[in-house]
Amino acid sequence: MMGRTIFIDPGRCIGCQACVSACRECDSHRGKSMIHLDYPDEGHSVASLPTVCMHCEDPVAPCAEVCPADAILVTADGVVQQADTTRCIGCANCVNACPFGVPKIDLQAKLQMKCNLCYDRTAYGLAPMCATVCPTGALFYGTLDELRAERPGVQVADSFTFGATTVSTGVAMVVPADKVQWLVPGGLPVVEVNGVDVR
Amino acid sequence: MTHAHAGQQLPLDPSVAPPGTRNFRDAGGIPADRWHADQNGETLVPTHCCFCGVQCGMYLRVDHAGKVFGVEPRNHDINRMRLCPKGINAYQQVNHPDRLTSPLMRRSRDEPFREVGWEEALDFTASEIRRIQSEYGNDAFGLLGGASLFSEKTYLVGKFARVALKTRHVDYNGRLCMVSAAGANKLAFGIDRAGNPFSDILLTDCLLIAGSNVGECFPVMTQYLWGARDRGATLIVVDPRETAIARTADIHVALKPGTDSAFFNAVLHVVVAEDLTDEAYLAAHTTGWEEVKKTVADYPPSRAARICGVPEEQIVQVARVFAGAGKAMAWHARGVEHHSQGVENCLTIINLCVATGNIGRPGAGYGTITGQGNGQGGREHGQKSDLLPGGRSISDPEHRRQICAIWGIDESELPPAGTSMMEMVWQMQRREIRGLIGVCNNPFVSLPHYATVKEGYDTTEFHAQFDFFLSETAANAHVVFPVTVWAEDEGVMANAEARVVKHNKAQEPPAGVRTDTWVICELARRLGAGDKFAFPDSRAVFEELRIASAGTVNDYYGITYERLEETGGIVWPCPSTDHPGTPRLFEDGRTYHADGKIHMQVVEWHPPMDPYSEEYPLSLTTGRTVAHFLSGNQTRRLGALVEQTPRPWVEVHPSHGFRNGDPVRVVTRRGSEVFPALVTEAIRPDTVFVPYHWPVPTAANALTIDALDPRSKIPEYKVCAARIEAAERIDEVPAPPTGPGQVAYPETQVSRGDPLPPTSPQGRGTSERS
Amino acid sequence: MIEPPQAPAEPPPAPAGPPPAPADRTPQTPAQVRRRATLAGVAVSVLLILAIVFGSRLLRDFDSALLPYAVATVFLAFGVAYRYTVWVSAPGARRLFRQGWRAFFSVENFRSAPTALPRMIATYLGFQKFLGARSHARWAAHQLIFWGCILAALITFPLTWGWFTFTSSTGSGPGYEMRIWGFKVLGFDSLNIVGWLMFHGLDIAAVLVIPGACYFLWRRMKDRGAITGQRFAYDLVPLIALIVISVTGLLLTFSSIFLHGGGYEFLAILHMVSVVFTLIYIPFGKFFHIVQRPAAVGMQLFKYTARRKAEATGPASAGTATSSTATMSAAAGVVGADGPDAGLLTCRRCGRPIDTAPYVDNLQGTMRDLGLGFDEWTEYCPRCKRVLRGNAYLSHVKKGFK
Repeated sequence: MMGRTIFIDPGRCIGCQACVSACRECDSHRGKSMIHLDYPDEGHSVASLPTVCMHCEDPVAPCAEVCPADAILVTADGVVQQADTTRCIGCANCVNACPFGVPKIDLQAKLQMKCNLCYDRTAYGLAPMCATVCPTGALFYGTLDELRAERPGVQVADSFTFGATTVSTGVAMVVPADKVQWLVPGGLPVVEVNGVDVR
Repeated sequence: MTHAHAGQQLPLDPSVAPPGTRNFRDAGGIPADRWHADQNGETLVPTHCCFCGVQCGMYLRVDHAGKVFGVEPRNHDINRMRLCPKGINAYQQVNHPDRLTSPLMRRSRDEPFREVGWEEALDFTASEIRRIQSEYGNDAFGLLGGASLFSEKTYLVGKFARVALKTRHVDYNGRLCMVSAAGANKLAFGIDRAGNPFSDILLTDCLLIAGSNVGECFPVMTQYLWGARDRGATLIVVDPRETAIARTADIHVALKPGTDSAFFNAVLHVVVAEDLTDEAYLAAHTTGWEEVKKTVADYPPSRAARICGVPEEQIVQVARVFAGAGKAMAWHARGVEHHSQGVENCLTIINLCVATGNIGRPGAGYGTITGQGNGQGGREHGQKSDLLPGGRSISDPEHRRQICAIWGIDESELPPAGTSMMEMVWQMQRREIRGLIGVCNNPFVSLPHYATVKEGYDTTEFHAQFDFFLSETAANAHVVFPVTVWAEDEGVMANAEARVVKHNKAQEPPAGVRTDTWVICELARRLGAGDKFAFPDSRAVFEELRIASAGTVNDYYGITYERLEETGGIVWPCPSTDHPGTPRLFEDGRTYHADGKIHMQVVEWHPPMDPYSEEYPLSLTTGRTVAHFLSGNQTRRLGALVEQTPRPWVEVHPSHGFRNGDPVRVVTRRGSEVFPALVTEAIRPDTVFVPYHWPVPTAANALTIDALDPRSKIPEYKVCAARIEAAERIDEVPAPPTGPGQVAYPETQVSRGDPLPPTSPQGRGTSERS
Repeated sequence: MIEPPQAPAEPPPAPAGPPPAPADRTPQTPAQVRRRATLAGVAVSVLLILAIVFGSRLLRDFDSALLPYAVATVFLAFGVAYRYTVWVSAPGARRLFRQGWRAFFSVENFRSAPTALPRMIATYLGFQKFLGARSHARWAAHQLIFWGCILAALITFPLTWGWFTFTSSTGSGPGYEMRIWGFKVLGFDSLNIVGWLMFHGLDIAAVLVIPGACYFLWRRMKDRGAITGQRFAYDLVPLIALIVISVTGLLLTFSSIFLHGGGYEFLAILHMVSVVFTLIYIPFGKFFHIVQRPAAVGMQLFKYTARRKAEATGPASAGTATSSTATMSAAAGVVGADGPDAGLLTCRRCGRPIDTAPYVDNLQGTMRDLGLGFDEWTEYCPRCKRVLRGNAYLSHVKKGFK
C-alpha cells in the first residue's frame, strides 16, 4: 500500500525551516509556502514538528469530503491536490476539518492552498522540495525499502487516532520498533495541555 | 459589549481564518507576481552555497535573460541535495534591490554619500593611501580581508597588502572565527585543517561534538551526525544550551561557558585513571604525553564538576563512552574556540583524541568545523597577518625568500608580521593605523565591544570598504566600492574538510558593479604595482596561487579549475595534477611536523577574562541562529529569513522569573541592551544567550568583551559576566543600511518590527507569523 | 454561449424550487440522488421549452435557423439542473446551500443590511476582486472573458428562444425596432452608433473573449504552476472552445461584410457546432464553476449574517448556535463577543478566533453526516491541532532520535 511517499521523523528534525523556504521554491506554488513547522514543546525544548499534507487514504481526504464545491481532487496515485482555483469558494471547511491542521487559505484570493506533494516534481519522479532539501532526513521521500536502506531497521506507522476514529494516511511517520503496533496519537482527546486542563 | 464599542463596521467580507492558515505573504525579494517559473528557457548553473563552511552544492536557476531567479538542489557529495534555509534563499541576493551599483564617496563622515564614477573613487582612494603612507609610514595603512571571499581574492588581499600597500597591517575576519582551531592544529599536527572528511563521521562509533550548534550553524552537516547514529554511533554533545542536536543526544554535557578545558582535562583524567589510553599509539606517534598526563592528574572529575557545573558521573560517562568506542571522533567549533584560551580548549580535545588513539583512521579522528564559506581556504593564502601563501610563515626567512621570488620583489620590501584584527582596531584608536580598506567584513556587528570598534573606525582618516550591500561598517566609510556577489564571478573555496570546490559564474554583474579582483588590481595599478597585479580574472589569480602554494603543506599545485569541474572538489594537499587529493590526514601515522609526531600540549584551565561578581553573576554567551549568517548584512535583507527570525532575543531560564516576551535588559561591564526574553528550560540557569547577527542597538557584540586569546588573538565572544533585569521597552532592530536615496526593500522588512522573541531559537513557527 | 453567473436568487437556469432537501440526515443512496436529479433536469427542461414556446408567441417569433441552438439550450438546462441537484446533494454542499439560502431569504438580514448582498454580488461575481489577489493578469483576462460571455449570452439566448425580435417597418432598415415577447422595447437606426452596437454586440463579445482566452491558453503552455496537474479535457478544451466560437463568430461578420458571404455556410456550421458543444459541455467540465460560483456569495452571506447577528445580540447570546458550541465557548472562556470578533468561535486551547460559530457548527454537522468522527477537533485551531499532535508524539511515541 505504501509506495513512494514522505516519511516524517520529528525526532530527527532540527527545526531549521529549510523545508519552509524550499516549499516556496516549488514551481507549482512559487512564492507560497505550504508546509507547517511548529515548535510544540515551546519553553521546554527546541523540539519541532514539520507538517506536510498526510494525504489521507481512509477516510479518503476529509478535506475533499467536506468541500462544498468539489474543489479538492484526489488523483489516482493517492495525492490529495490543492483546491482547483476555478472551483474553490474559500469557505475554509477543509481548513477546519483537517485533523492534521494542514490546509491554508488565502482570504483575499478566496482560495485554499495546501501541500500537493510538489506534484510538478513527484509526477516526474523527483522528490518534493521539502524532502529534497531537508538537512536531517526528518522529511524523507521514497519507498519504505529506500528508507530502510538508509536507516536499518526503521519502523513506520500510517494510522493515527483521533478520539475513537482512526485515520490512515498516505504519508507515514517513523515510530520506535516497540510501538509499531500502536496507532500514533493524533492529539485528540485532549484533557490537559502543558499542565492546564483545557476541558 | 455595546454596539458603540463594536464601533467599526463589519467588513463586507467577514471571513476570518485561524492563525497560521491565512497567510501567504510572499516572503521574497521579488514581488509575488514576478515569481512564476517558466517552462522553457531555463539553465542550471552548478555552484556552491556562499554561506557556511559546509559548502553545499547547489544549482542556480538562470532564466533566458541570463538572470538568476531560483535555486535547485544539487546532488553533490558534500550535501546530497540537502540545503538549509540560508542556502535556499541565497540566490535572492543576486538581483536584490538593495544592491550597491555605483561607488559611493564622501570626503568626511559628516557628509552624506554621493554616487561617483569608478575613476573618481579609485583615484581618491589611491591618493588617500599615498597621503597617509607618505605622512605616517607604510604601516599606517591597514587592510582587513574576509573569509567569505574566494581563495583567489584572499590571495590577492594578502599580496596587495604586502606588495602594493607594503604594509605589515593586514588581517581578516577569520580572526574572529577560526584561528584558535588553526593555532591548535598547527601546534599539535603542523598542519591546519580537519583530519577527516565528513564521510568518516558515518563510520564512527562515538561522535563528540563540542561547542557547536550543528543543527543551526551547519544544518546540512546534521545528516552526517544522524547517519552515524542510524548506524549505531553514540552522540555526545558539549554545549551550555540544549540545542537541536543536544536535545536528542545520548549524552548532553551542559557545562558552564568558559570551562571546556577543565572538562576535557577531567575526561582525559578518567581515561588515564581507568587505563583506557592507547599507550602503543602514544609511544609511537606523540611527544609530550607524560607532561599532559601529569597535568590532567590535577583534574579529577570532582574538581571539574565544580568548575563546569555538571555532574561528576557525566564526566566519567563521557570518558568511558568516548575511550571505550572502537572508533571515536571529535568535532568542535566556535563554542570552544571563542575563548581567551581558545587554542588551549582545542588542544585538550586533540589530547583526548590522541590519547585514545583516535587519529587518522576511517571513522576515528578529529576535525574543526569552519564557520565561513571559505573559513578554511581564507586562512591559507596570506591574508592572515603572520602568514604568506601556502600557509608559509612570514617570519620564516626561507618562506619569505620563496614568496619574494614568486612575487618578484626584493626580500627587504616584504613587510614583517602584523597584528590581529582586534589589535588593529586598538591601533586605530591610538592613531597608529590611520587609513583602512575593508574587504568582505562587517566589524561593526562582528567585532566585540562595539564602542571600541566604533571609536577605532571613527578615528581613521580614511576608510574604504568593498561591499555588495551597504553594511553597517561600510555606512561609516569614506568610499564604498560596489562589488560582485558570489554568483557573478568564479573562484574556489575550501570547506571544513579542506575540500576545494569551485563556484561558477551564473550571471553578469549589474551595470556599475565590478569584481573585487578588478578593484584590487586597479588600486594596485594606481599605487605603482600594476605589473604585479595584471590579473584579468580569477583563473589567472588561481594559476599564480597554485604556483605559490606548490611544495608547501597547503599544496594546491595539483588542483586546476578543470579538475575541480570534473570531480566536484579536491582535498588539499594535492601536489600534482594526477594526485587524488588527501581527504584523510595522518593515515601513515605521520604528522606535518619535522619529526612526524603529534606534539601534545599541556593545558591548564583558567577562568574567563571577564570576572564574575555579585553585580555580574551570569555568563552571557553569544552565537548564531539558523536563519542568519554572521553579521547579517546578507541575511537580514532576505525576506524569508527575516520572517523566520526577525530580531534577536535573550534566552533565559524560567528560574529568573521572566515571562516569554518580557523586555529584559542584559547588562555587562561594557553596556546594556534590552531584548525580549525567550524563556526556555533549554539553557543553564546561570547562563543567558543572545544571537549576534544584528547591529546596535540590538547587537550582542555591544556587550561582549574584547579580551583575546594570547596565541590566536581570537576574542572571547562565548563568555562574559552579565546580569539581567526587567526593562520597560525592548530595543528596536534598525533597518539595514542602504545607498543614498534608497530604503531597504520593504517587502523583506515587514516582520522586522515584531517585538516578540521567536518561538524557539530556530525561529518563529510558521503559525506564529502575522 | 455561456450562462451568465447570476445571484443565487436564480440558480441557473431557472430554479425548480430548492431541490427536495429532506430534513433527514441520512445520506441518500446514489440511485436516489440520480433519480431526483433526473427529475429536476426534466422539470427544468420542460419549463424552458414552455418558456420558449410562450416567449416566442407560440413560435411565431421563433427563428427556425436557430433551432439547433435552442435544442442545445434545452440540453444545457437539463444538464445544469441535473448536475446542480447532484452537487447540492453532497453533505458539504447541502448544508452550505441551505445556510446560504436561509441567509439570503432572511428578511431581518435584508432589513439590517440591505446593501450587503448587492455589494457582495458586485465585488465578488461582477468585478471578481478575489481574482486580483491571485494575479492581476489573470484577473484582467478573466474579466475580459466574463464580460464578453455575459454580453454574448444576453444577446444570443433570447434571440435563440425567439424572445427578441428585430423588425424593420421598411423591410431592410435603417429604422429597426426591437421587441421582447412581442412588445416593442426600443426603436433605433442601424446606421447610428446605437444601431451599430446593437448589430455588432456579438463581435464586441468575441473581441473581449479572444485576448482573455488566449492569455489563459498561453499561460497554460508556459507557467509551471498552471501546468502542474493540468488536464486537457478539463483545462484546455474550454479555452479552445471559447476561442473557436469567438473566431468563427468574427469570421462570420467578416465574411458577410467583406466577402459578400463567401464561406459563410461553412463558418456558420463550424460556429454552430462549437457553440452546441460548449453549451452541452457546461455542466460537466470547467464551466460548471459558473453555476457553482454564486455559492461563494451564499457562504459569505451566511458568515456575514452570523456575525451581524452576534454583534447585534451582544455577548450574552453569542455563539449559542448550538448547545455544543455554547458549552465549548464557555470552556474556552471567550467567544469573541466583542466588537470585531463578535460571533467568532475561538480555539479551545489558544483562544484565537477560528471562524463564526454557526459556520463551525455547520461544518461539524457536515462531518457527522460524512461519518468523520473527529468533528470535535474543529474547535481547535489548526496550529493547536499540530502542536497537540506534536506533544502527543513527544510524550507517547518518542521524545528524541530513537
